Amino acid sequence: MEDRIAQLGTDARARIAAAADLEALRCIERDLLGKQGPLAEILASIPSLDKAERPAVGRLANVLKCELLAVAAERREVLEAELLAAERSCEDFDPTLPARPARRGSLHPITRVRRRVEDVFTSMGYRILEGPQVELDYYNFQALNIPADHPAREMQDTFYCTGSGNLVMRTHTSPVQVRTMESVEPPYRVISLGRVFRKEEQDATHDHTFHQVEGLVVGEDVTAGHLIGTLRSLLAHLFGRELDTRLRPGYFPFVEPGFELDVRCPFCEGGCRVCGRTSWIEFCGLGMVHPRVFAASGVDSERYTGFAFGFGLDRLTMMLLGIDDVRHFMAGDLRFLEQF
Amino acid sequence: MLISTRWLGRHVDLGGLAPEDVAESLTLSTAEVEGITAFAPHLDDVRVGFVQTREPHPDADKLAVCTVDVGAEEPLQIVCGAPNVDAGQKVAVAEVGCVLPGELKIKKAKIRGVPSTGMICSVRELELGDEHDGIWVLDEDAAVGLGVAEALDVRDTVIEIDNKSLTHRPDLWGHRGIAGELAAIHGRELLPLDLSLPPTGDGASFPVRIDSVACSRYVALPVDGVRQGRSPDWLRFLLLAVGQRPLDLLVDLSNFVMLDLGQPNHLFDRGRLSAEGIVVRMANAGERTTTLDGEERSLGEEDLLICSGAEPVALAGIMGGEGSKVLEGTSELLLEVAHFDPVTVRRSAIRLGTRSDASARFEKGLDPALPMEAAAHLVRTLTELQPQITLPAPPTDVGAWTDQSREIDLRGERVRRLLGLSLTDEEIADSLRRLHFDVSAGEGALRVAVPSRRAGKDVTLEEDLVEEVGRIVGYERIPVRRLTAEIAPPPPDERRALVRGIQDRLSGGARFHEVLTYSFLSDDALATLGLADLPHLQLRNPVREGERSIRRSVLPGLLGLLEPNRRRRTDVRLFEVGEGYLPERASERGEPAQVHEVALVWAAPPAAAAARFDAGCFAGLQGVVEDLLRGVGFDTPDWEVPDGELNEPWAHPGRALRVVLPDASGAGRAVGVLAALEPGLHRALGLEGELASDVVAARVSLDRLLECSRRSAGYRPIPRYPATKLDVALALGGEVGVGDCVAAIERCGKGLVASCELFDVFCGESVGAGRRSMAFHVVLASPERTLGEADGRKFLRRLERAAADLGGELRSE
Repeated sequence: MEDRIAQLGTDARARIAAAADLEALRCIERDLLGKQGPLAEILASIPSLDKAERPAVGRLANVLKCELLAVAAERREVLEAELLAAERSCEDFDPTLPARPARRGSLHPITRVRRRVEDVFTSMGYRILEGPQVELDYYNFQALNIPADHPAREMQDTFYCTGSGNLVMRTHTSPVQVRTMESVEPPYRVISLGRVFRKEEQDATHDHTFHQVEGLVVGEDVTAGHLIGTLRSLLAHLFGRELDTRLRPGYFPFVEPGFELDVRCPFCEGGCRVCGRTSWIEFCGLGMVHPRVFAASGVDSERYTGFAFGFGLDRLTMMLLGIDDVRHFMAGDLRFLEQF
Repeated sequence: MLISTRWLGRHVDLGGLAPEDVAESLTLSTAEVEGITAFAPHLDDVRVGFVQTREPHPDADKLAVCTVDVGAEEPLQIVCGAPNVDAGQKVAVAEVGCVLPGELKIKKAKIRGVPSTGMICSVRELELGDEHDGIWVLDEDAAVGLGVAEALDVRDTVIEIDNKSLTHRPDLWGHRGIAGELAAIHGRELLPLDLSLPPTGDGASFPVRIDSVACSRYVALPVDGVRQGRSPDWLRFLLLAVGQRPLDLLVDLSNFVMLDLGQPNHLFDRGRLSAEGIVVRMANAGERTTTLDGEERSLGEEDLLICSGAEPVALAGIMGGEGSKVLEGTSELLLEVAHFDPVTVRRSAIRLGTRSDASARFEKGLDPALPMEAAAHLVRTLTELQPQITLPAPPTDVGAWTDQSREIDLRGERVRRLLGLSLTDEEIADSLRRLHFDVSAGEGALRVAVPSRRAGKDVTLEEDLVEEVGRIVGYERIPVRRLTAEIAPPPPDERRALVRGIQDRLSGGARFHEVLTYSFLSDDALATLGLADLPHLQLRNPVREGERSIRRSVLPGLLGLLEPNRRRRTDVRLFEVGEGYLPERASERGEPAQVHEVALVWAAPPAAAAARFDAGCFAGLQGVVEDLLRGVGFDTPDWEVPDGELNEPWAHPGRALRVVLPDASGAGRAVGVLAALEPGLHRALGLEGELASDVVAARVSLDRLLECSRRSAGYRPIPRYPATKLDVALALGGEVGVGDCVAAIERCGKGLVASCELFDVFCGESVGAGRRSMAFHVVLASPERTLGEADGRKFLRRLERAAADLGGELRSE
């Protein structure tokens, strides 16, 4: 019996050592150590053995069982390591094969930049208001201190609607200033973004439909210094660094004093195509709210002061994204849109 | 407007300032400078030469061979064809290598066999005037060998100012005005200019009658003893520098005064004027007159005329008439300097298409005090050139004009408060005095006297003075500040959140591309899409003929983008969030209702016949809309078959569904529509042949969405017990809808149906004629226990009976 156990041990060790993979090892373990296996058979036969023989056989069989379990575990570790090593090998990996694209749609570039502008201003406590694009002559012109026959009306070639003659396609977002002042009590900070229309010939830098951002702040201690500070904050957010600005006189009938703000070209030092080699870019028309506009909207211009500004979203988008033709924006061409 | 820096020097000493400094200071304090250019740079290269000899050309009667000393070691030999060239003249010589205007490069040449090394230039060749009847003979004093510009002292730099930035500054439409600004900015003296009228004779003044309120002042001054002729070089070069072609003395002088003081004026041939005198009146309808440019013009009752008796002789403020042109030899003139209503002039000039330098100035609203000063300036300038002239009679000065000068109280506090700049009252007063405003101490404020030239529409309010102070002090001095205030965060902006949510949802996994399309639709597009009968607000002056209708919906614009994009892409998915205008729903003030919507279009090649029931764009877009609405906080919508007229001409009448959500009261509310494209439109939109497409579109109203109730927040607990999955197929009559089946399945589940998803629809012989098979994945689950096989069996038995009740059968388990 002891010989048989020894023989069994020799065979079993050899089989385990020869197991080619984990599945084979599992089969061998089942064969040797399972309920129907030879060790089980030996253990089951112990009661039928001589009393003297029983302890030794029992011990030998149990020792062998323990040993085989250990050997099998060892072999399993080796096989698992081999398997991992095989998996880690990269023989069948071709790093030059392309990615499978994750397809998605796109947001319009104007939307992308519009959101950035909105977010800067809302973070500074501004509300976003909307005004109609088909606007009353009163709001687009008269209430903004641009009466009929004012030369400033010609600065903005206007689309007029048929009918009673009091509707125009708004030429700027400034009417929202008046609508705001009429409906909200100061103090307030608002911006308005949206489409505006001017009857212009279309070329790489002009379209008859474009987008403006209008800002209006009214309060008891609002100065031109705050106006400059506000726009510098915006520019720093948009361009990722502080940019130099300069203020110069500008004429807009609804502000007094009126200014234009130039920003130091962020793309060059000393002149490039974007700034027309002047190293300054005209960015924004702005000023302190005109007392006549306050009067038209019922705001006490002795108690409150305010500033307003307006700039083009299309040109800003073109600058930020390096787009060279404004006509792409409204053309709806997927070859353009897919890039954003 | 072009400004000559040399001309400015007549009014202010700009010593020490480079033209670039002048330009920058104007930009920063007055008006935008668009560019700086050197005047006639070729005059630096063309040199003063002395004609030593002139011999006839051996082989050509009309040519002469000259030797010309240009200051070099050897004189040049130049063949010249001008009849007036002669020995002893100082002339302008372009040497070999010199490039003249028009890219004319001077080369060595042989002219009829005689070598010629250079060219003696005419006035026209140097772009200094029209004269081409001979070479330009220079002043005897010109130093030989110097560049002509230097020798004649006509070097100049021209500054171009953006006219738009002078819209509100009628006082800056002449060099003296700009010089005054520069004097104020740089703290220099504005040189005095005598603008008083010299003494006149006591003859009878010229009769003038004003019959229109559009003329508020008319000064008429007779001038005698004038000799016509060529202007002196100083005057010609000033005019040339600012782009004015010198003509003859009288025209040049008139232009000079306009460009110097900004006041247009006119010289009439007095002998040609009627003895009745000048009458200023509105034109009669249909009246005609011929202007100086030779155009015959048809006038209307809104055009202001200057008449000699009854005869029109000028379009007031715009252009003189052919009939009053000063004839050669005339020595008796009438000088007109007037003030006209800016609106009348502007309207006439636009209507007649004749905007001139004069009308550009009048339409800004000139100072009515200026005409007499301008008359004096012209007369004084003329007297310097022709001391023999006389003024036989006092000027006529008629009209209901008033001096515009006014006093405004300016509180120093107001300046400090608007600019955010701490200035003392003294600094404020000083900056205004630099602009020639008189400042005195008033009650609690500075009393500022604004001169008439500024007090028209430009400086009328305290705030206008704040601007004057700011720009003269320098805006760069304003300290940059940040706003501080006790502010509450802005209220939640539901509309913007909705727009952003929609954009994000669609542009993400739904793979839609956002576009922006124009608000204007053409007549053709409306007719094509069958929308022509709907009321559209229209433009009176569209950018292109027919492109006049203002959109009611953003969808039509998207449909027009399908064909070009389908040419380049197989699968085209576009959306736009935008506004439409409904004129039939106008406010009391006439504002059309503005509606907000998102429109989606999806075009792709038709799905294969054997594809799954939901493979096409229709089901796809439904899924997108469901996901979109859930994504922005609403329930999955109900899809309702529209009963009655859909009123969407683009939509397929049989393949259209309304998108329905519960409103605040829980009632179903149609928020939009989804439909396949009307079959007749495929061809019209170019989607046939290779581009044949399955096209589906949807519109969802944002205004209505904002009135619908949101999906309740909260979650469904994750089941604690395992679920049982079953696939069931029901064979039912074609009239039984999916909804009926789902209802039956849920009923049979007795509350255990966790989900029920259609995965196959099949018609065929094995199902039976007129019937179809619908197969569902059904998941049964209980929150209380693990379900056993018995639960599944009971469910199937009940479903079998339910199928029979619906007139069909349960096909399989």
